[in-house]
Amino acid sequence: MIRFIAKRLLLLIPMLFAVSFLTFVLVNLGGSDPAEVALRVNEITPTEEAVASMREQLGLDQPFLRQYGDWMLGCLHGDFGNSYVDNEPVAAAVARTLPNTLRLAGVSLAVILVFSVTAGVLCAKYEDSVGDRLVRAFIFLGTAMPAFWAGLLLMWLFAVKLALFPTSGMEGASSVVLPAVTLSLGYLSTYTRLIRGNMCRNSRESYVVYLRARGMRERTVMRHIFKNSIQTSLTALGMSIPKLIAGTVVVENIFAWPGIGRLCVTAIFNRDYPVIQAYVLLMAVLFVVCNTLVDAVCMVLDPRIRREQEAQG
Amino acid sequence: MYQIKIKKAAAGILAAALLLAAAGCGNDGASENTQPAEFQSSTQGNTAEVEKKEDTDEIVFASTKDIRDINPHLYSGEMAAQNMVFESLVVTDTDGEIQPCLAESWEISDDQLTYTFHLRQGVTFHDGEPFNAEAVKMNFDAIISNRERHAWMDMVNEIDETLVQDEYTFVLKMKHPYYPTLTELSVTRPFRMISPKCFIDGETKNGVSGYAGTGPWILSEHEKDQYALFARNEAYWGEAAKVSAVRWKVMPDTQTMLLALEKGEIDLIFGADGDQIDLNSFQKLQEEGKYATELSDPVASRAILLNCHQEITGDLKVREALQYAVDKESIVEGILNGSESAADTLMPENAPYCDVELEARTYDPEKAGELLEEAGWELSEKDGIRYKDGDPCEMTIYLNSDNAQEQAISEYLQADFQNVGVKLNIVGEEKQSYLDRQKSGDFDLMYSLSWGTPYDPQSYVSSWRIPAHGDYQAQVGLEKKEWLDETITALMIEGDEEKRAQSYAQILTYIHEQCVYIPLSYSRTKAVHVPSLKGVTFNASQYEIPFEKMYFEE
Repeated sequence: MIRFIAKRLLLLIPMLFAVSFLTFVLVNLGGSDPAEVALRVNEITPTEEAVASMREQLGLDQPFLRQYGDWMLGCLHGDFGNSYVDNEPVAAAVARTLPNTLRLAGVSLAVILVFSVTAGVLCAKYEDSVGDRLVRAFIFLGTAMPAFWAGLLLMWLFAVKLALFPTSGMEGASSVVLPAVTLSLGYLSTYTRLIRGNMCRNSRESYVVYLRARGMRERTVMRHIFKNSIQTSLTALGMSIPKLIAGTVVVENIFAWPGIGRLCVTAIFNRDYPVIQAYVLLMAVLFVVCNTLVDAVCMVLDPRIRREQEAQG
Repeated sequence: MYQIKIKKAAAGILAAALLLAAAGCGNDGASENTQPAEFQSSTQGNTAEVEKKEDTDEIVFASTKDIRDINPHLYSGEMAAQNMVFESLVVTDTDGEIQPCLAESWEISDDQLTYTFHLRQGVTFHDGEPFNAEAVKMNFDAIISNRERHAWMDMVNEIDETLVQDEYTFVLKMKHPYYPTLTELSVTRPFRMISPKCFIDGETKNGVSGYAGTGPWILSEHEKDQYALFARNEAYWGEAAKVSAVRWKVMPDTQTMLLALEKGEIDLIFGADGDQIDLNSFQKLQEEGKYATELSDPVASRAILLNCHQEITGDLKVREALQYAVDKESIVEGILNGSESAADTLMPENAPYCDVELEARTYDPEKAGELLEEAGWELSEKDGIRYKDGDPCEMTIYLNSDNAQEQAISEYLQADFQNVGVKLNIVGEEKQSYLDRQKSGDFDLMYSLSWGTPYDPQSYVSSWRIPAHGDYQAQVGLEKKEWLDETITALMIEGDEEKRAQSYAQILTYIHEQCVYIPLSYSRTKAVHVPSLKGVTFNASQYEIPFEKMYFEE
């Protein structure tokens, strides 16, 4: 078990190197000359001399591999370079915005958990009832709506008409509700259906019949069904966490949430390469780490996977 | 039994989720405390509007952008915010006249090389530092030492010497009789005064240690990408601002802005050219009548640039034909909702030196057809497009895809061009690619927006000589481009008013005759605000917002 996890962690290192290299290459393939852009975003006329001196200042006159090496070395020391636009250290910009995004994604995750588990279990219990269908239809609609539209509708109803929340911004605890709900809409239907489907399938398994035949109480039966149903959802949820964090861009824009998604989009528009590179690298790390964590959790939960791994190891 | 269990489980999950949410929100406890109490109450509950108006007289202004670094000698901050905090020696009023500001009066020597400014006495910077000739000199020297950043402004290169004559007399010596000196001293940046204490190693080009100016507003709080708070400068030398504070809220989405206005969370939206509010929404708000809306006088020129360096548009006949092909009135009525007036010439007649007699070219598709015919473009019956030597008359307009208005105008143009047998392709690009294209000159048509008063015409015309601008690239194909650039350079330092006017007339006539621009309209600055906010007016520059004149009245 521990050996397996250690092995996975070791594998992360080459993977992250590959990701960082790819990021660096892709970003540098972009059409605009970063030195020129760095001048332009500060409203400096890009004359030839100005571009040349900026190129030197940013280290862009170095050979490509050297640039990558310098950048990578900096990253290992926690130095992701400075933004081309305002010269703010990228690490500081990330430290300023990431907690806000984590908070938004965290609350969103909570909303997803509460609603999809409740709705999933209830729908499974009353399978094919009117309520089941209604809930599913409603959630389906919510998922099908693009976030910017759903967000504005929610804002109009709950902030403007009912005046329950502020329209936007990050002021006070209540301001997180609307963006978090908007963000969770896209995931609700997936998990509700996953849990519902698994529970329905499991409840027809023979072990349920045995449990009932042994005269187990209904709550014990349900507990077994739920535990067996939750596993696939857990894997999917694990992979959703980085997706939630990376997918906040639209919601952050609409609700004026000062998170990392907005930081990244602004950086893309300004061709602020150090910020883009740091963002992509960060997201890659998040995905890879979450993936590893989910695998580990699955092993803990499911003895079969554990045995398989041990047999291989 | 089973049902109770489910309920219990659900309650447990709910409790856990709430805990999680609470934990997530825990870290903002500290930052909340730094906010004024009245603001917290204004964000909660439906009594928000009433409470806010009672508690304070704070103007909440929404902007799509953060104020960023408002160092007055650099260009990365929002101009409207820079203008609130920092002041210049002189200002340009809405009639285009130069008025005193930090300089009470001034004299210009007969050779127009020496400017002597008599400074206002008893003015202090927000940090208590005295404002005097020494401080002015420090500011000027810091700006000049960062010369290459100010390449758009000839002024910086024209300064010969800065002198402190006595405590309140500052002398500026120029190399040539550079005529827009006072105007360029008045614009929002870079010639604004910041406290000598904010300098880092005697410079401002690598950043400043604070934002102490002499203006009517003091930047008191700034949460990047969230809000900035400007408090009234109680010790202001002039008439103090009427409200106690301005809260600059960042709202990247304009729809959100409109909803926030409807809810009463914000008081004012203000902005130029679709930046803050598009014309459709503006008109809707105007019609609803729930809010007050204001339109400034025409400030800037909106035109289409025709690239003389491309094959088809390189032909003067074709460029002339396109002038007649565009139905400007329809564009003004249909897209700009009549809020702007159609333009016959690149520069409005009321701009300085622009009252030049030029022949207006009004919509005349027949004439356009004839001209194209003369240029050898024959209409094909098959597809309604003109051909010459088997090649179709096809061209492309490039635009910044963020700008919905330009997209709509392009579609109108497409239909107008189609009418005369010219196929127009529309390519929207994101901003940096669009700017790359300006520099490379790889376009047939492009948008050109002048900077508006008080920059027009001198700064706009001056920028024609810079290769990174689309204007330069489009003009490169002109026979007399060299003469054009030389004339512009010469007229900036022409001491004789009459000769200068002649030179302007020559270049504006040449550009007009060569049909480099299709003038569309003269744009206006727009403002939408709650009816209780009064005194919403405009400065000469579309980039400034006169918050200090605004006040609330029930």
